[in-house]
Amino acid sequence: MDKISIPIGPQHPLLKEPLSMMVDISGEKVLGGSLRLGYVHRGIERLAQQRTYVQNIHLIERICGICSHVHTTTYCYAVEALLGIEIPPRAQYIRALMCELERIHSHLLWLGILAKHIGLDTIFMHTWHDREMVLDIMEEVSGGRISHAANQIGGVRFDLDEEKGEMIRKILIKLHSQVEGLLDVIESEPAAIARTKGVAPISPDLIKAYGVVGPIARASGVDVDMRRDASLPPYDQLEVKVITHSDGDAWARTFVRVEETRVSLNLCETIIREMPRGDVVVHAPRRVPEGEVIIRSEAPRGELFYYLRSDGSDKPARLKVRTPTLAALSLLPVQLSEINVADIPVVLAGVDLCIACADR
Amino acid sequence: MVTPIKLEDLCAEIKTNAGCQCEVYDGVHGDHTLSITPDQLKPVIDVIFKTFDYCHLSAITVQQRKNQPDEIEVFYNFWSGSGFSLLLRLPMKSAKLPSIISTIPGADFYEREAAEMFGIEFTGRDETPPLLLPDEWDQGPPFIGEKEKNG
Amino acid sequence: MFRSLFHLLVFPGFLFLVISGLTFEWLDRKFLARFQRRVGPPWYQPLADLIKLFSKEDLLPKNANDFLATLLPLISLSSVLTAGLYVPIAGYTPFSFEGDLIVIIFLMSVPTLAYYLAGIISLGIYSVLGGGRSLLQFFSYEVPLLIALSGPAILGRSWSVSTIMETQGRLGPFIIFQPLGFVLAVVGLIGKLKRDPFDIPKATSEVVGGSLTEFSGAKLGFWNLVMDIQAVVGIFLLIDLYFGWIKMSHPILAIAIFVIECLILILVLSGTSAIFARLRIDQLAGLGWRILVPLALLQIGFVILMGV
Repeated sequence: MDKISIPIGPQHPLLKEPLSMMVDISGEKVLGGSLRLGYVHRGIERLAQQRTYVQNIHLIERICGICSHVHTTTYCYAVEALLGIEIPPRAQYIRALMCELERIHSHLLWLGILAKHIGLDTIFMHTWHDREMVLDIMEEVSGGRISHAANQIGGVRFDLDEEKGEMIRKILIKLHSQVEGLLDVIESEPAAIARTKGVAPISPDLIKAYGVVGPIARASGVDVDMRRDASLPPYDQLEVKVITHSDGDAWARTFVRVEETRVSLNLCETIIREMPRGDVVVHAPRRVPEGEVIIRSEAPRGELFYYLRSDGSDKPARLKVRTPTLAALSLLPVQLSEINVADIPVVLAGVDLCIACADR
Repeated sequence: MVTPIKLEDLCAEIKTNAGCQCEVYDGVHGDHTLSITPDQLKPVIDVIFKTFDYCHLSAITVQQRKNQPDEIEVFYNFWSGSGFSLLLRLPMKSAKLPSIISTIPGADFYEREAAEMFGIEFTGRDETPPLLLPDEWDQGPPFIGEKEKNG
Repeated sequence: MFRSLFHLLVFPGFLFLVISGLTFEWLDRKFLARFQRRVGPPWYQPLADLIKLFSKEDLLPKNANDFLATLLPLISLSSVLTAGLYVPIAGYTPFSFEGDLIVIIFLMSVPTLAYYLAGIISLGIYSVLGGGRSLLQFFSYEVPLLIALSGPAILGRSWSVSTIMETQGRLGPFIIFQPLGFVLAVVGLIGKLKRDPFDIPKATSEVVGGSLTEFSGAKLGFWNLVMDIQAVVGIFLLIDLYFGWIKMSHPILAIAIFVIECLILILVLSGTSAIFARLRIDQLAGLGWRILVPLALLQIGFVILMGV
């Protein structure tokens, strides 16, 4: 059969964010593909050099619409490392709580998208309904559903009282039972298994060669998790269970993410229970002394890398952001070969695309 | 869990297998950094990837320091249990580096980004369309040149 | 003359089928919404959608054949409307003849072929892909569906739907003798209607809108109407063939039972599309030829043995 190229994106029902792919197919077989990024490139790294450290928090929050908090958290830890200050333990715990909530909401969002792509609209509706609970918590504690503006250099901008802690715990318990149900569906629904088992497996060697991180790497049996390995506070005091799976296929990626949601729910409960008392912010000077720092943290999609250099002024001299999606995207053309056209959505969903993150 | 590597082991491995001496640069907080020259890049990366069980390239960070305007700094940031970086200094006029995508195919996007944003030429790889900048972009690498005007 | 016109235009012809088609769409969307913890649309939503589509601009790609693109939905609409005329509704049919079941089955297949052609002539990449898929799918579900539908015909010793219904009045509903055949017929109907889990030709995430990607305005409106009417005709047919035993003396009671049966079948269809994930085309072909066809043959064998 003749080879034809089908465009996927920049506008396509499959994609929620603009990304352009040309996929070569022959009949129902995919032969290969190529990518083009940059549709939402905003030059954030360049913009960051023109704004002060404080203004940059709000700029960086807008890198991503899903994992906005982990970006600012990593940035703030980087600035604080240059300043040589340590934030109060309570602030660390609140940051971690928001990170974990964000991970739950990101993974649920992702699960819904996968379900929608394979035609399981019911699961899509249910997961997004459950995800709404997480957004409610976020709104209740920080005032923002998507951009929380929770961080400031030297701590966080709000405190949690007993009442809010109790409310969060109640919602989390409810969410827990919902997630158990979802896990049950993923593990037992025959059509969902038929669509994901054995689809586009990634070997650990490919993971290593392409530098892929996060749930995708863990689903291929690569045991990396920056929460445990980079030990940013307060994760050095918390036990993080790292979920891995050896299959490396689309189903394993689903399994890892759903299990991680469960781990994050437990972690949230631990954080609320063990949250130390005290202040949530310390005073931080405006000017940052000269220096360079590299901070890695675990975003919902994997290792988030920040390089920050200060030249002693109130603006960063260089800020480099490497988001996990960029690494996963470079593997995408490799995955898009020798598969079925109907598997394209499954492969794309497995990457957990965040184009805004990748473009910056 | 990946066992973190020790800086001494890394230096020793590079010395025996790639046959080059590398200086430790201690400016970066958080990562071990080794300073090497462009022609050492490929052998050193070969050594790094063959020696350790698990190691990935996190990023290629490029920057230009204000006090050294005719020099470009390139960091190759790796992670293998703990972070470590390779630092290369290139002359501004002829910023050329050997491409490493034959060893690390995942470096493709990072190299393209560095080429677009800082005008670094990566030798030994195919010409590619722009990755992040618009197709009709004609104002040169955005991080170079007009820096002072806006900053 | 006036009587025939009434039959053609009002009942059981055009008006009745359009209204029941839109009602079906509303019920289906409402049930699906309730399965998905949503509220669902109000009752007039399908009609409003239709009016909106008819008032919208009609666009086609530059080199596409506009004449054929207009003709295909109209041909499909007239075939499903004609098929609807021969399907007894609550036991009532004005135009019954020996062999009308074959005519119905044939007319019900026309939209699928037209759908395939619509994909080819509208010159979009996704349309061509969707059209090809619809043809592949056609070969997977049509054979088991045909074998399953011939079960009632063999047992009723007639190819006329009304005669089959009369036989059921004597023997009891055919669902008792061929439950497997009924299940296969429902599966076939889902395939024919391109509903989840067999919505492969129009899978949004894979081929955007399938064959109809390039269609808009009134043409798309007609296509939507075709799908709705095809669904109700299919549902009526299955109920006649498998549950058509009750000869009620009172017409109101007959209609009530018929409506309840329809509602249950719609609920089954909505439930199926809520529960299952979409299959891949190779998985569907495997399911059709390796599982459904042998099962259908098994059912037919049983029916023939029973008839002897």
